[in-house]
Amino acid sequence: MGSAQRDGDLVRLIEAVAGGDQAALRALYDATAPKLLGIVLRILRDRGAAEDTLQEVFVRIWQRAGSYESRAGAPLVWLVAIARNGAIDRLRQEKAARLTQVEEGWLERLPDLGDGEGDLARRDALAHCLGTVEVPQRECLVLAYCEGWSREELAARFGCPVNTVKTWLRRGLISLRGCLEAA
Amino acid sequence: MSDPHSWPDDPDGTAGEYVLGTLPPEERTAFARALDGDAGLRALVAGWEARLAPLAMATPPVAPGPATWAGIAARIGGTQGAVPGGAQIIRLERTARRWRVAAMGAGALAAGLALWIAAGPRPAGEGAQYLAVVDRGGALPALIVRVDLGSGLVQVRSLAAETPPDRSLELWYVGAGAAPRSLGLVTDASARLPVPAALRQGAEGGSLAVSVEPKGGSPTGSPTGPVIYSGKLVRD
Repeated sequence: MGSAQRDGDLVRLIEAVAGGDQAALRALYDATAPKLLGIVLRILRDRGAAEDTLQEVFVRIWQRAGSYESRAGAPLVWLVAIARNGAIDRLRQEKAARLTQVEEGWLERLPDLGDGEGDLARRDALAHCLGTVEVPQRECLVLAYCEGWSREELAARFGCPVNTVKTWLRRGLISLRGCLEAA
Repeated sequence: MSDPHSWPDDPDGTAGEYVLGTLPPEERTAFARALDGDAGLRALVAGWEARLAPLAMATPPVAPGPATWAGIAARIGGTQGAVPGGAQIIRLERTARRWRVAAMGAGALAAGLALWIAAGPRPAGEGAQYLAVVDRGGALPALIVRVDLGSGLVQVRSLAAETPPDRSLELWYVGAGAAPRSLGLVTDASARLPVPAALRQGAEGGSLAVSVEPKGGSPTGSPTGPVIYSGKLVRD
């Protein structure tokens, strides 16, 4: 299925969910829950916590579907944002120290987003532009976004002050945005 | 009042860090609150969400367990047939609605009885645990039922279940295709009841139900009064 047709289907489902259609929520769940659980699990790293969060996420989708505007962005982007926010909020609430370890070879494979879904042009542009961001900044962006690393955890990994991490993150974002807008 | 937050100076960087998830917790909370009333900030956040989303899409999918949907369906007041055993839940809910009408007529129970069960796996030590929150629809949970096969106990905490003055509430385990078995009376306090043999084999597919019985419990060993709460037990 092309991404445009898929987006159209998801938009129709979200609109039906906004109207209180529970079968539409189930269809939306079937279409997107595995992807969203993968994203949440990568951040939380605990299967039980991730599935709890996925429940919260779909209850939130049920409650907020009426606020989704298809003109404002792709439906999958909206769903991913709700899922990631749920995971990050849970992670920050728990505050427990966790083992931050980077999967062998993962960062080196970036920016290879070959298995991704969604808009191909956006994906290729992001892969290209991440490649132009300096290494420590790029690693900070990717570890934070994909795995939920905090500034403190990143500072410990790179052996630098927390303020340096903040500076790297903001500079990395500026570089990324500049590259994406020039493309 | 000083503003410790950075978004007036660097709104786009703050929006980006909000999306990354790296804002310190207090600033994250304050920023999320500010988003509600600021369309400009929301547009910056949406921009970063769209820019970074391909990175999230590259994450391999993971299939959720069946309990996850069941929990969602229960929390949105699900009456869809999507849950195995959904037909039974619908039937019990209808029973509850009939009782609601009867109860309002009798003035015995507060209005607003509804079926709501959130059930899901909890990390268990030795044996499986099942948790059922049996609710009256949006208010405080009326009952929290924890079935712990490890310790062999059913624990019932009654939070807001109103008992008609001359009646008792009785908790039942309804196995798939089996006759209901009494787990004991629901008292005002926290009650611990031994797990019956039927549940020790694992409670998949079973439901819990609370019925209104004569004072002291059902005289026949089966539910005789209306079912006012019910919920399904789900485990991964």
